[in-house]
Amino acid sequence: MAAPATQLARSGRDDPPRTARLGAGPRARRGSGPRQSRLARDRRRTAYLMLAPATVHLVWWIGFPVAATFVLAFLHYDVLAGTATFAGLDNFRAIFADSTWNASIWHTVVFTFFTVPVAMAIAVVLAVLLNNKMRGRAWYRAAIFMPHITATVAIALVWMWMFEPRIGILNTALGWFGVKGPVWLGDPSWALFAVIMVSIWKGVGIKMLIYLAALQAMPQDVYEAAELDGASKARTFWSITLPLLKPATFFVLVVSIIDSFQAFDQLYVLTPDGGPANSTTVMTYEIYSKAFKEFQMGQAAAMSVVLFAFLLVLMLLSRRLTGREDDVR
Amino acid sequence: MSAEPLAARTRARDPLVARRLRRLALHLVLLVVSLAMVVPFVWMILTSVKTEGDLASYPPHLLPQHWRWSNYSTALSYAPFGQYSLNSAVIAVSHTALNLVLASMAGYALARVPFRGRNVLFLAVLATMMIPTYSKIVPQYLIAKGMPFFGGNDYLGRGGHGWLDSWWGLIVPGALTPFAIFLFRQFYLSLPTELEEAARIDGMSEFGIYARVMTPLVKPAIATVALLTFESSWNNFLWPLIVTTSPDKRVLQVGLSSFQQSDQNAWAYLMAGTTMATIPMVVLFLFTQRYFVQGFANAGIK
Repeated sequence: MAAPATQLARSGRDDPPRTARLGAGPRARRGSGPRQSRLARDRRRTAYLMLAPATVHLVWWIGFPVAATFVLAFLHYDVLAGTATFAGLDNFRAIFADSTWNASIWHTVVFTFFTVPVAMAIAVVLAVLLNNKMRGRAWYRAAIFMPHITATVAIALVWMWMFEPRIGILNTALGWFGVKGPVWLGDPSWALFAVIMVSIWKGVGIKMLIYLAALQAMPQDVYEAAELDGASKARTFWSITLPLLKPATFFVLVVSIIDSFQAFDQLYVLTPDGGPANSTTVMTYEIYSKAFKEFQMGQAAAMSVVLFAFLLVLMLLSRRLTGREDDVR
Repeated sequence: MSAEPLAARTRARDPLVARRLRRLALHLVLLVVSLAMVVPFVWMILTSVKTEGDLASYPPHLLPQHWRWSNYSTALSYAPFGQYSLNSAVIAVSHTALNLVLASMAGYALARVPFRGRNVLFLAVLATMMIPTYSKIVPQYLIAKGMPFFGGNDYLGRGGHGWLDSWWGLIVPGALTPFAIFLFRQFYLSLPTELEEAARIDGMSEFGIYARVMTPLVKPAIATVALLTFESSWNNFLWPLIVTTSPDKRVLQVGLSSFQQSDQNAWAYLMAGTTMATIPMVVLFLFTQRYFVQGFANAGIK
């Protein structure tokens, strides 16, 4: 789960004055009589009660687990006995001595490097096209967005059937053009590419939607001015639309990188057990298998910490890449 | 004469034709992309009604020679898809109901009631939204496993399997999403103060104001949170995969993935299963597009 980064930055800053105004209200600010203070106390007590279940849940299932991951990474933890001893950097040494883990880092980076930019480029073009008023717009949008709301596991199984080398629809279609299709998921040099294809197909919709929302919130007068100046459509796209989409691009980039680094379902289904010759194993799969197949919780936590560090660095990088902080906010 | 001035001149002379052509190109591009998006779904449904003969034929027929709808009932007996779907539905409905209640209460308190530390708490909620799944999944599993007094555990959470392979473990951890709190808070913030003050003067309790005055006014937030929660719960895979071991607790997505591993050749039945797993969500989406789009444009990600 990731946050709406742009909104986060915004509400984090705008929040205090706004809430103070709305929350306290003129009455509470004016009076300090016994009635008001009792009322304020009453309201606070109700608020605490209403917040309690959510707070407990968040601390219990998110706050504590995150902290525990960082502690666990430095422990030898025995699941069966429930005992833990301090391990220092042993877990980290152990995972980086494993060539499969190192390969999985590389695969994750390759997977992200191809999935994210390609899907984003397609998405921004589609969003600009869909921003025109036209017949059937809602249907196009629904079709493009549909892959996103369907279960990854189910739809990956459909793709697996489409990738079937002999009678699958993909190689049949390639056969019409006289091309002999590859074995796709069974071939170490094609498997990751196949998974990337599916991930792009599935990821375009949500990125398109965020771009479309950003486009619809854009000021129209700039475009009118450009049209008066006789700017071409392409020129308008490069010089006006893209720069104005910078905040949206930052948001989409961050969200997509987080998503892509954590891709699991489609890889698990399309290329089980790390794929042919471990050619598609990714960090998430290694964490899954280390924790829930080998029950090496300490090493799995160390892997989680590495994944977390990657995401943190990439997020800072994408902030650099898409412009100064002021633009983002 | 080069092509460009000619094109420019035609455009200048006949702007209507140029506009029509551009419109046509626009529709053509969008049509091709939409088709690419929809083809897997079509292929899935076509395969789900094919016979063994159709499936084995080479080169494959695009359309089934004989539409065998009975594949669906056969699939239900081939693998317990009925049981899986029921499990998925029970979990998704529980998650939706719990999330609506817990998140709306928290969102209301964060939006409407002043108290010390409120902003810190709100920032903490935002921070939890940023936490990647994989930096909490291992301890979450251990917490579920070590739940005291459950599943044969002693008071220290040792000896048994705790919440693993139980409805508790399937439902409780996913019962609240920080995004829902965030969304509710934004909606409650936009309501006018006068309403709640009028209700207060009428002697309504603070909880009554939340439940009977304010909450009916944020119906779009309720719809959005309900749909997004149901969708992500129905489609969720990793958590049910790691906490369930017995087949009768499997959810649809886990059942499908294990089906694929046990039997490679029953493609028609498998496609019948994936149709059952995807089509309800597609239909739900088509009828409630507005809320989905609104929610996803805010959330960005599930």
